[in-house]
Amino acid sequence: MARKISRAWLLAPIMCCLVIPLPAHHSFGAEYDTSKPVLLTGIVTRIEWTNPHSFLYVDVQDDKGSVVNWKLEGYPPGVLYRTGWRKDLTLKVGDTVTVTGWRARDSTNLAHSREVTLANGKKLFLGPPGGTGDGGSTPAVEVK
Amino acid sequence: MTPKLALLVVATVAGLPPSVAAQTAARTTAKSATKSSIPRTRDGKPDLTGVWQAGSTQSGNWEEANSGLGVGGTGRNPSAAAFPSFNDRPADSEAAPYQPWAAQKVLEAFNRRAIDDPSALCLPLGVPRQALLGLFPTQIVQTPNQIVILYEYMSVFRVIPLDAAHPDDLLPSYMGNSVGHWEGDTLVVDVIGFNDKTWLAGAGTFHSDALHVVERYTRIDRDRINYDVTIDDPKVLTKRWTIHSSMMLREGTRLEEYVCAENNLDPGQYEKLLKEGVKFTRE
Repeated sequence: MARKISRAWLLAPIMCCLVIPLPAHHSFGAEYDTSKPVLLTGIVTRIEWTNPHSFLYVDVQDDKGSVVNWKLEGYPPGVLYRTGWRKDLTLKVGDTVTVTGWRARDSTNLAHSREVTLANGKKLFLGPPGGTGDGGSTPAVEVK
Repeated sequence: MTPKLALLVVATVAGLPPSVAAQTAARTTAKSATKSSIPRTRDGKPDLTGVWQAGSTQSGNWEEANSGLGVGGTGRNPSAAAFPSFNDRPADSEAAPYQPWAAQKVLEAFNRRAIDDPSALCLPLGVPRQALLGLFPTQIVQTPNQIVILYEYMSVFRVIPLDAAHPDDLLPSYMGNSVGHWEGDTLVVDVIGFNDKTWLAGAGTFHSDALHVVERYTRIDRDRINYDVTIDDPKVLTKRWTIHSSMMLREGTRLEEYVCAENNLDPGQYEKLLKEGVKFTRE
């Protein structure tokens, strides 16, 4: 598969400080580390429009020239549809994309995705904000 | 400056989320809403039929109302205000009045970043949590004798007979047993018969099988239902817990299929984290 561009690098710490609540499905915050923001550019190899979450797979060339397949988790199909995504139209296997997100705590090539920039420059959100999804921003009970 | 706008400005200066200010403002003006602005059924009751988005105060169709940051950041403006999470108690609500031992348990679940959330096992959210979730739409179908509520999330439903008594042979359930009646223009739904496997409104907000929820649905104008809930559970709470939220009309939105078990990788991921000793808990 043809591949272009490609850098996987950690973004500046500014992104780590975003703390915004996440409404569904489970705790992104447990699985993903907001101190590990990633910016990935590569070629889409597979798209899973599945519940409870969708997954996007992207071939990314690292600094040493090796191609690594990243797995990016995002919103489920219904949520994506309502926010402007169209299956098989918006994004296809072979397209070049740039994705922002946060890497898994176990440092595998798995990330929670946020914004996807399509080849035509259009930007869409594939997943929720980082920083929460970790059980909420405040406890339901008062802490004394 | 209108009172509502003034409140928003004050809230913004005070650093409060605009949604809190908007909710408060809308509540204070609810009483003055003209009855003629509320769609009604042939029997004169407010008509709740429609597709709604919980936890929102924004008018418009789904795309318009979520064009800012949107619920869960679904919108396109990263600088717009965020909606509260279903792992948080609603913004306009008091802290959960748990008994000390129970509050500790809630806090532990919060510190474990909701890894024990029943929804991670694709289980229904229960009441009121299911009715507070704004990322997915909710459809209400109203008839003179019963109200049916369909939730896209987890594909669960509630059938609410009106002016009926709870059965005396209830089986414990996730969504409980609901019966309703009208008090003026407010639909009051009494819910009992719960199991103890769901959370109420926020990470770790467990309850017992003694849970008793009363929901009040008041359509205050064309676009909005005020959703007010009281929660009683003498086994875990020290007093009644009251929650206020809202639902906004989303014309043109259809409920999609949501088969959670299709590709649920969460339990496996959590197990992996724990097994590998990856640190994910809060200090």
